[in-house]
Amino acid sequence: MRRSFLVLALFYGMMLVSAFYWQLCADLASHPANPRYYLAFQKERGAIFDGQGRPLAFSTAVEGGYARHYAAPSLSHVVGYFHERYGMTGLELLYHAELSSGRSVFTTLDLELQKAAEDLLSGSQGAVVVLRPDTGQVLALVSLPCVDGGALDENWPDYLGDVRSPFLNRATHGLYPPGSVVKPLVYAAAAAEGALEPGSTWFDGGVLELPGGTMGNFGGRAHGEISLDEALAKSSNVVFGKVAVVLGERLLEYFRLFGLGQMVPLELSNKEGYVPDAIASQYHAAQLGIGQAELLVTPLQMAQAAAALANGGVLMRPYLVQEIRGGLRMRQITRPQVLGRILPPEAAEQVKRAMALAAQEGTAKTDLSTELEYAGKTGTAQMGSVPDHAWFIGFAPVDAPQVAVAVLVEHGGMGAEAAAPLGAEIMRKALQLSE
Amino acid sequence: MGLLYRTWFGLTGWIVGVVLWLFILQGQVLWWQPAALWALFMVLWLITRQLGADSGALPFTAVLVFCGWVFLARLDPALAQGHFYGAMLGAVLYLFGLLVPAIRFPFTRLWAWAALGLLAVTAIWGESAGGARAWLSVGSLRFQPVELAKIFLMFYLGRQLSREQAPWERLFFLTCFCLLAAWQRDLGPAVLVFAVFGWLSLWHSFSWYKLLGWAAAAAGGFCGAVGLFSHVQNRVLAWLKPWDYLDSKGYQVLQGLFALRAGGLVGQGLGQGLVRVIPHGHTDYIFAVLGEEFGFLGVCALLLCYLSLAFWALRILDGLDQERQLVGLGLTLLLHGQVVLVVGGILRLLPFTGMTLPFVSFGSTSLAAQFWMLGTIAGWSRGGGEA
Repeated sequence: MRRSFLVLALFYGMMLVSAFYWQLCADLASHPANPRYYLAFQKERGAIFDGQGRPLAFSTAVEGGYARHYAAPSLSHVVGYFHERYGMTGLELLYHAELSSGRSVFTTLDLELQKAAEDLLSGSQGAVVVLRPDTGQVLALVSLPCVDGGALDENWPDYLGDVRSPFLNRATHGLYPPGSVVKPLVYAAAAAEGALEPGSTWFDGGVLELPGGTMGNFGGRAHGEISLDEALAKSSNVVFGKVAVVLGERLLEYFRLFGLGQMVPLELSNKEGYVPDAIASQYHAAQLGIGQAELLVTPLQMAQAAAALANGGVLMRPYLVQEIRGGLRMRQITRPQVLGRILPPEAAEQVKRAMALAAQEGTAKTDLSTELEYAGKTGTAQMGSVPDHAWFIGFAPVDAPQVAVAVLVEHGGMGAEAAAPLGAEIMRKALQLSE
Repeated sequence: MGLLYRTWFGLTGWIVGVVLWLFILQGQVLWWQPAALWALFMVLWLITRQLGADSGALPFTAVLVFCGWVFLARLDPALAQGHFYGAMLGAVLYLFGLLVPAIRFPFTRLWAWAALGLLAVTAIWGESAGGARAWLSVGSLRFQPVELAKIFLMFYLGRQLSREQAPWERLFFLTCFCLLAAWQRDLGPAVLVFAVFGWLSLWHSFSWYKLLGWAAAAAGGFCGAVGLFSHVQNRVLAWLKPWDYLDSKGYQVLQGLFALRAGGLVGQGLGQGLVRVIPHGHTDYIFAVLGEEFGFLGVCALLLCYLSLAFWALRILDGLDQERQLVGLGLTLLLHGQVVLVVGGILRLLPFTGMTLPFVSFGSTSLAAQFWMLGTIAGWSRGGGEA
C-alpha cells in the first residue's frame, strides 16, 4: 500500500511540476490564438506621456471599445502603435502588460522637440536622435518616412506599397557608413592613447599613398602642415588616415568603447552595425579612420557617441522610459546609468574644442554659428553610384552640453549642406525648450 | 503521527471547507444549495463517526464538491443544481457503501456480468453526446452506466485476483469490458480499468514477465485504437502538436493551456476568467477553469485534496485482508487514475481522455458512483469491516 501511495504521490508531483510550468513559465500570454490577447483592445488602456506630462498616446471611448490616438505621426517609431488588426509595436508592445492594466508610462521625450525635428526633416528620408548627454535621456527620436499610428486603417495599403519603407525605423535599424562623423572618435582615440604631442602638427599633401591603396581629401585639396584640431575642422582625410594608421588595431577597440558594433541598451531593439574584427592593411586602417571601408553604424549609435564626447568621456545608457505610474507598485522610476568611462576627461575636452572649432570656422559651420555655441562634425558617407548620405553629430552649448544630436539624411549629399543646418536648428530648439 | 493524522483529516479540511462555504455564501443568490450541502456533509460525518468508521475523507470530499459547485454556479446555475442533486444521490450511495458489505455478496461473477450488461444495454439503447454513446435514459432520468460498471467490474476483478485461480477468466471479462467501451467510442473508462487492473495484478504478485506482458498489451491496445478510431488519432495529434491544429484538433488543448497560463500564481479571481471559450469547461475541462481563476496555488490545493484522499484510503486498506485490499486498491485507483488521466491530459503529459474530474466536474452519475467508493472503503474501517 505504501508503494502504491508513493507511486500515486509521484504522479501528483509530476502534475504539480507540469502545472507550475504551464501556469508560470510558458510563453503563451500574447499568442495570437489566445483570445485573452484581444481583450486588451476592448478595455481602457493607460496613456503614454512625454517628459513634461503631455500625452503622446491616449485612448478615448468610442462605440464598441476604445480608439488610440497619437500626438505626432513620427511617434510611431518610438511609442509605436496599438491596433486590433495590425498589432502593436514600440513602447506600446514593450509595456503592454503595464498599459493594459491601466498604468501610465512617462517617457523622456519632448513632444515639442519631436515635432520640430519631424518638421525639419520632413520631405527627406532620414533620422534624428537627440539625447541629454549627462543622463542619457532620449529627447527626440525621429525617423522618416513613418506610418501614422492613429490612421492605420485608412492608410495601411499605401504603407505596405510604399517603396521608401515607412515601417523601417532608420534611427535604430538603419545601417549607414559613418563617413567623416567618425573622425571625432578617431581623434578621441589618439588623444586617449597619448599618440599626440602638444603642439604637434601633421602634414596634409592632399593625397595619402599607402600599401594597399591611395586616398585623398574631398575635392583633392591639400591643407599643408596643420594641427589635428584644424584637420578635424577641415575634415582632412589624409591626416585622419595617418592617425588611424598610427593607432592600428587600437582604433577598433575605441570604436567598440563608443558603442559601435553592438546594440545600444535602449528599451527599443536596434541593430549592432558592423566593426571589423581586425585590420587587414594600412590602407584598410586609413579607410576606417575616415568612416569608410566596411564600417556600419546606426544614427542612434552616433548620437550615443556624440553624447559621450559631450559628457567628458562618460558614456550614459540612453533610455526612453522615465517612470511608470499607477497600479499596485505605484511608481517605477528609471535612474541614469553609467555604461563606462571610455576617455580621460582631458582627451574628451580636446575633442570638444576641435569640434567647436569645426562649428565656428570648419565644415560644420552654419548660419547659427554666431548665435549658438555648439560643437559639431559633418560627414558625407560615400555610396559610389547613388547620392551620398549626409551626416551631422554635435552638442551644445560647448562648455556645459545639455543636448547631443545625430542627424542623418539619406542620399542628402554633402553633410555640411544637408545635415549640419538641421542639427544646429534642432539643438537651438532643444536649448530653447529646456529653458 | 496519530496527532498529525487527526489534525490533517479532522481539522484542516473542515477549516478549508468552512472558508470555502462562507466564500460561496457571500453574494450568492443560490444560498440554500451550499447550505444544504454543508448540512449533508455534517450529517454524513456524524453518522460515520457514530458507526465507528473513519470520517477523514469527508472534509476533503466536501472541499472538492464545494469547489465543483462554485465553478458550476459560476458557469451556469442550472449545472450547479445538477451537481447538488448528484451530491444528494451520492450521500445515499455513500451510506449504502458504508452499511452494506457488497464485498460479501456471494456470486462474484455476477458483478462482471452486471458490468458487461450495463455496457451492452448502453451500447444498444444508449444516446450519444460528445462523440461517445455513453448515456442511458430511463424516463426523465439520464445517467452514465459505465460509471457504475467500472465499480462492478472492480469488485469482480479484485476478488477474483485474490483467489489465485483462473487468470484467463479475469482477462476475458477485462477484454470484453474494454471492447464494449471501445464500441461505444468511450475509451476513457477502458484505458482506466485496463491500467488499474494492470497495477493491481502487478501489486499482487510482481514479475518482470508480467510487467512486460502488460506493457505489450498496452502498446498493442494503443496502436489498435490509433489505427481504428479517428478520434483517438485526433487526440494523439492534439497532444503531440497542438500548435499545428490551432483551430481544429488542438483547439481544446490550447484553450486549456491559455486558461492555465492566464491563471498564473494566484489566478484571475472567481468569475474573472475567460472560461466560455474552453470546450467542455463544466465537465472534462473544469480543471483548466479552476486553474485560470484560482491560479497555481488553487491547483496545488486541489491536488493536495486528492492526495489526502489517496492517503486516507490506502492507510485504511493497509490493515485489511487481501481480498479487500485488492478491491479497495482497485476502487481507489479508479478514482485517482481518473484524476491523473484528466489532469495529465489537460497539462499535456498524456493524450487527453475525456472523463470527469472526480467530485468536481458536472456529472451526477460519476459523482454518485465516487461517493459509493468512498463509503465502501470507509465501511471497512469499522473494526475489520464486520458490518
